[in-house]
Amino acid sequence: MNRMTATECLLEMCEEHLELEDYQSGVPRWCTGCGDNAILAAVQRLCRDEGLRPEKTVFVSGIGCSSRFPHYMKTYGFHGIHGRALPVAEGVKMSRPDLDVFVNTGDGDCCSIGAAHWIHAIRYNMNLTVFLHDNQIYGLTKMQASPTSPIGTKSNTTPRGSMLEALNPLTVTLGVQNVSFVAQAVDWVPELLYDIVKAAYHHRGLSFVRIVQRCPEWMPKLHDPWLHDPNRVQVLHHARGLQVSAALGRVYRNQLEHDPLDLDAARRIASGNDAIPVGILYHDPEVPCYEDFKRSTLLRTPALIRSGLQAQFDKFTVWPKAAEVETAQQAA
Amino acid sequence: MDTVVSPPTTVKPAATARPEATARTMLTLREHIVEIISDSGEGAQRCGQSLGAIAARMGNGIWTTEIIPAEIRPPARSVAGASGNRIRIGAGPITNGGDETDLVVAFNEQVLLGRVRAKELKPGCIILLESMWRTHGDAQIAASYVEAHDKLVAAGYRVIEVAMEQECKALVADAKRGKNMFVLGILCQLYSLDLQIAREQIALTFGKKDESVIRTNVMLLGAGHAWAATNLDFGFRIPAERVTVPQLVINGNTALALGVMASGMEICAMYPITPATSASHYLSDVFEKVGGLVHQAEDEIAACAFAVGASYAGKCAVTITSGPGYSLKQEAIGLAVMGEIPLVVVNVQRGGPSTGQPTKAEQGDLMTAIFGSHGDAPKIVIAPSTIEDCFYSMITARRLAETFRMVVVVLTDGGLATSQQPFARPEFSESWLAPPIDQSPVPEGARPYDWDPITGLSPRFIPGQPGGMHTLTGLAHDRDSHVAYDAEINEESIRARSLKLAALQTTLKPPPIFGADEGDLLVIGWGSTKGAIEEAVQALRDEGRRVSSMHLQFLQPMQGGVGAAMRRFQSVMTVEANWSDRPEDALIDDDNRRYAAVATLLRARYLVDVDCWSEVRGQPIKPGTLRRVLAAKLDAITAPVGSPT
Amino acid sequence: MDANATHSDRVAFYLTGRRAEGMREVGALRPALQARYRDLTSLRHDFPLVLATSGDAAAPSLTALVDAALASIAKGADAERARRQVLRVEQEVRVLLQQGVEGTLAKLWSDATARLAPGRDASLAEAARRARATIAVDGPLLRCDATLPERLLQHVWQQEQQRKQTALRERLVRLIQQLSDILRADFERSGAGRDATRLKASVGSGHGDLFDFDAMSRVLARATPREPMPEARRERIRRLLGVLDAQPFVALPDENAARAAGHAAYGYRFDSCAAALAAWRERLPKLIELARAIEVAELEIDGRYHAERHDALFASYGANGLEPDLLSHFPDVFVCLDGTSLDAAEQTRLMEILAGELPIKVLYRVDDLLAALDDAAAPTSPGLRCRQIAHMAMGLNQVYVLHAAASHLPRCGERIARAMRFAGPSLFCIYSGASGAATGQSTYLAAAAAMESRAFPAFVYDPSGGPDWASRFHLDDNPQPELDWPIHRFEYEDARLQRVSVELAFTFVDFAAGDARFAPHLARLTPGSDESDLAPIDEMLLREAGRLPERIPCVRMIDERDRLHTVLVDEQMMRKARRSREMWHSLQELGGVHNSHANRLLERERAAWEASHAAASALPAATPAAIEAQAAATSLLAEAVPEPEAAAPSRDDAYIETVRCSTCNECTQINPKMFAYDANKQAYIADLKAGTYAQLVEAAESCQVSVIHPGKPQNENEPGLAELLVRAEPFR
Repeated sequence: MNRMTATECLLEMCEEHLELEDYQSGVPRWCTGCGDNAILAAVQRLCRDEGLRPEKTVFVSGIGCSSRFPHYMKTYGFHGIHGRALPVAEGVKMSRPDLDVFVNTGDGDCCSIGAAHWIHAIRYNMNLTVFLHDNQIYGLTKMQASPTSPIGTKSNTTPRGSMLEALNPLTVTLGVQNVSFVAQAVDWVPELLYDIVKAAYHHRGLSFVRIVQRCPEWMPKLHDPWLHDPNRVQVLHHARGLQVSAALGRVYRNQLEHDPLDLDAARRIASGNDAIPVGILYHDPEVPCYEDFKRSTLLRTPALIRSGLQAQFDKFTVWPKAAEVETAQQAA
Repeated sequence: MDTVVSPPTTVKPAATARPEATARTMLTLREHIVEIISDSGEGAQRCGQSLGAIAARMGNGIWTTEIIPAEIRPPARSVAGASGNRIRIGAGPITNGGDETDLVVAFNEQVLLGRVRAKELKPGCIILLESMWRTHGDAQIAASYVEAHDKLVAAGYRVIEVAMEQECKALVADAKRGKNMFVLGILCQLYSLDLQIAREQIALTFGKKDESVIRTNVMLLGAGHAWAATNLDFGFRIPAERVTVPQLVINGNTALALGVMASGMEICAMYPITPATSASHYLSDVFEKVGGLVHQAEDEIAACAFAVGASYAGKCAVTITSGPGYSLKQEAIGLAVMGEIPLVVVNVQRGGPSTGQPTKAEQGDLMTAIFGSHGDAPKIVIAPSTIEDCFYSMITARRLAETFRMVVVVLTDGGLATSQQPFARPEFSESWLAPPIDQSPVPEGARPYDWDPITGLSPRFIPGQPGGMHTLTGLAHDRDSHVAYDAEINEESIRARSLKLAALQTTLKPPPIFGADEGDLLVIGWGSTKGAIEEAVQALRDEGRRVSSMHLQFLQPMQGGVGAAMRRFQSVMTVEANWSDRPEDALIDDDNRRYAAVATLLRARYLVDVDCWSEVRGQPIKPGTLRRVLAAKLDAITAPVGSPT
Repeated sequence: MDANATHSDRVAFYLTGRRAEGMREVGALRPALQARYRDLTSLRHDFPLVLATSGDAAAPSLTALVDAALASIAKGADAERARRQVLRVEQEVRVLLQQGVEGTLAKLWSDATARLAPGRDASLAEAARRARATIAVDGPLLRCDATLPERLLQHVWQQEQQRKQTALRERLVRLIQQLSDILRADFERSGAGRDATRLKASVGSGHGDLFDFDAMSRVLARATPREPMPEARRERIRRLLGVLDAQPFVALPDENAARAAGHAAYGYRFDSCAAALAAWRERLPKLIELARAIEVAELEIDGRYHAERHDALFASYGANGLEPDLLSHFPDVFVCLDGTSLDAAEQTRLMEILAGELPIKVLYRVDDLLAALDDAAAPTSPGLRCRQIAHMAMGLNQVYVLHAAASHLPRCGERIARAMRFAGPSLFCIYSGASGAATGQSTYLAAAAAMESRAFPAFVYDPSGGPDWASRFHLDDNPQPELDWPIHRFEYEDARLQRVSVELAFTFVDFAAGDARFAPHLARLTPGSDESDLAPIDEMLLREAGRLPERIPCVRMIDERDRLHTVLVDEQMMRKARRSREMWHSLQELGGVHNSHANRLLERERAAWEASHAAASALPAATPAAIEAQAAATSLLAEAVPEPEAAAPSRDDAYIETVRCSTCNECTQINPKMFAYDANKQAYIADLKAGTYAQLVEAAESCQVSVIHPGKPQNENEPGLAELLVRAEPFR
């Protein structure tokens, strides 16, 4: 019943309201100008606006610049090992559906060392919100080409320019069975970034958000063409997707109405390589979540475990012949 | 132990008139080892398991060992393809698979040859051999059968040809399938087992299927029983000591799975690998009935990371694997150590390195279990030594993992995994279960890693606890879980994590000594070898030799009192199923000999010259073998001065 | 012709009810239109019903079940025979019921089969068995008698109750479990929870000898001391557990009930409003206590209960009652009333229940519509009172009202279910048809006739249906609802054995004429009398009343041998009929049929339209171009999003497009006093004076998204201004 009872209203009234600072922990050690700062701001806004309870919220990350993210959130955090953020987050969610679980992973973490987990996480479609901080370079290890580095990227491991075409996280994700939410944002349009983060959070299932992110340290000029020409950002809007505010519409005039339920169109848009599509590419709220059919609905009481165990014991028990039990009792 | 049997003199060829009952020679035995082998898929496995269960219900001690070919479907009638079961039946409790086989039933001569070459058959052992091949359409097959048969007879084996398939044809359409129950009938007759109990057992085994299946099999059983009565003029009786308590008859992997359920753990994350998988198979079938779940992850790494995540969120999880998978989990295990996340890791050891011998048993992973991962990564390592132990180890492991915020590695092996041994049905207690997740607010100023300076222990915050918010990290961190590269803090945290082992160690009792507290030789073992070692030691003690044994359940930390015990003996040696250089090899000397795992540890810890004997044949070590080895060692020790010890 | 009453005699009868020559007592006649329903056992109608204990339909009709069965078994060669045999069994079941045999479908089905095929006809028995096998449901068989309304409604109510109680039970068990877990978690970590004996117990017999548990207990106590849960909270949880364990609304499973001192749960079935209300009043405090406990428990479990904030809130919980939505999670009360004998006190209590929006489902049953209706002196009849109560209930707007004759209930399955699910009171006004006064009519026919004749029409008022009458009120279950009376074709053979076919209306008179008490108002004509001065009731009703009639109303009836008779009707009877029609009209208006307001409005609109149309045709038609232009204009309007257009800042003022700031820290690094972050962590110029123009320009240059506009310098004589202005230009 979506109508609120009087008590519910009163309770809502009682909830204390948190400010952005209440979700801030420590001082980010990211470089000045790093896109991670924008993402942090957007996510903290989400937490505040959705009134997420810090103790009920978990940010799981792997290794890399972006994976420092949890340290700057005053929630529970898990800063794990390289590439394994997703399976860890799956474990957290599976054992604790009551927690809001977010994943912060980078292009190396997700698309390279953790690629296997990435594919399968999409397929499990657990109720997680995944942010791919894609700055298209390894930053923490001091500039090596990443799988998403554009071909020709000069780096310490590709001094004469990388030779492989960049991997496209959107087309890969859109190609996996059970995909349910794929969006793309850029860190330099905070308004859209926030709207997309919010939409991702509200999707029940795995929401995958690729955030194109600047690295002022190693790739300072990479995004300038897009940064300085709003028309090279293509804003996707739809009644079922994002709505573009008038103010934003005046700056970003390159807009496309795209139905998030249209997978083929989503793949087409994702494959395009001129303007950066920003918005919700695909969203199917009907895809079932792994935890929903995997988790037992039984109330896990000691009594339940006792009876379940006894039932199994019975299968394997060899009972002594009654006569012998008697003789034993007589002996005793 | 095994009374030498004077074998029956005459054996009537198949299909002759029933002899006088008086003509039967009945022999009473302390124990016997029976083998049923066939091509895989012919049901020898089931026949053997049923025989074991029936004997157990009669009150006999049993130990069944699976005989498994490496491939799923090896070519029919191939020497390497033997699939079946080996049952050691005894009057009293049986603690291991024993020595060579006394009586074998073979569905074809090739698989039998395989066993002969493996030296698994006792000299002169009785062989019941399917005779259908003699008249087989394919001349080559017929020939090879005759050749093998004659060779075996010549070798002194007591070969009895049985037209199993032909006998079954009379009763069922698909005789190939029915054979095993016919054979079960023969064996029940041979070992004077209660036919009624046998019928019940069949009803139990085929319980899932419908009545007709059970009826058919019971009929075949009876037929085999009658056939043996008519055509075999000998039989055995193994008087059972009375059992008065209900017992579970299960293998080690099933015991592990039941232990997981009984420990209150809720999540098992795994990836298929032999020989660990059967534990997960069983768990997948039953876990959800108690509200648990098995997650088959995309790989071993993910399985471990998933378990780590679940444990971090408050529900200690388990991941079950074998050698190669265990290696893959190392990084995640390191993270669990660093974050002090409770975690239970089961490693059902198999032959290694690399893919090694997937279906065989070995104790080769002890060192990697203790020293694995990277940096200083202290973990608790325990090794069950019996089937019953497999069950209780999971409860203990969960308890220790959560109490000490540590990774607990449980080492079993392919032997325990597939062997069955009856043990007293456990009395479930609710205090085995993991306590409910603590979601109470964290007191002001409490810190996520508030290491106690003496024990290294610290209270743990679980997501959902108000005020406990912190970011767990694999980076060096201080008491607030803040990243810290500070030298002092780094040492402090490493010290704390290490101290927890010492803290646990102070709560352990010294391992009991089997035999006298002092003597010429102390044999130290761990894991699945316990039964064989103690059987051998007992045998030697019965002969008056001054030998005792000690079995280690905790490998890390090691129980106290081991050093003191060792010093009370003139000499100490370990018996293990992992590689140690053979002193007799030309190049091997004191400077380069690589010792077996526990020997190495004991030498390092106690500065005692611990010798070792080990074997990596993929088979459980036989008590008979040990008896010879230990006798030789004792001779060397007690030899007159001057001769080398 | 002597035997024939003259016209004047007939008029006299019409006005006074005095019979003349050739007018006979009406005797045991039945309405002509009911001719076909002499033997109901041979008729596959809506009865009997099966009170199914499973299946999706609460009470499917035997006919429906058998049809479904036939659909699946009647295949192949012997299909037709099997069909006939099964139908024969079905009929036999009806016969048994008629003879008063009670029992479940299973029982009567086998009885019937046995009676038809005592050993001889194996094929029939086989067909019957196969059919029965395909019918999944079973339960008592219900025919249309006086007990039907109560048994049927109570059955549906019980099923709904079971659903509710299970849900409530599961919720309580979960809450109890989770609350106890909080206490257990606290205990497990307490000193007592970690003493040696408990530690020993926790590793299991197999490993009891491995550890020195005293040592372990010491280690834990020393290493991880833990302050226990605040006593206040423990006390609160204990109290909650007390309430949940002891609540008397549903019975909990044993392991929970064990703690509560095994008291019985409440009953919810009553026979009077007084009893129901009393129970409700007595239980309300406990109900509020439980509802509160549940709310608090949920918060407690979720760690969201803060005494300082919530204590006050819950102290006053439920002070002004509990709203229906919340009550709907708890069991409802079911009350059965007999409308014929309902005293004023009960009526007022009934209104209390309905007006109070209490979760109570009331069955108001009338067996006799016509009692006291025949004598003009009587104030009201049970029928009228029933109608009146239904209308009052509708007037309250928050009551689900179902008004129907028992014969119609089988068709109301979904509506009854909705009424039972409805969060609030429901009122079922049901006419059973068991007046006992109907001559030669079964209860079923009496009820059916009452509905057919508008004497007891079927209607529903469903407050959950929507916001307005159109979506809440339904009249469409009645036959031909747009007419005054339903019209049916009627065929017979006349004296000359010629087939005659006429259209007859089934009026109130047809319904009442079957009732012995109305005999005085009827007069049977001798067959073959002249009928030229007669007219059917419906026709007569269309004429003005209260004038000397040139025609006399008559009604067609048949005797037990199905011979047709013409029966005169007197004026008093006609008055009843007229009144019945008036009431029907008012219902029709509620149901939107011939709604007078609507009709008037319609008239006005039509007139207006015709007027304007006439005017328009006089003018030249609008050019297509003009129309297009108009369209374009509107579409433009649609596009242009209206917005509060802030006056665009001039190039002279310094400002930041804050919404576009991407929080990159560049400017705040340059001068944290001059540049600051707002609540969304986006930059704005906090204090222009706090820094130099140089810093402003530097910030503008370094801003990655170029949202900083330096404007013109504040301090005219800042050094190097000329150069700065050049650099500032692109950003102004």
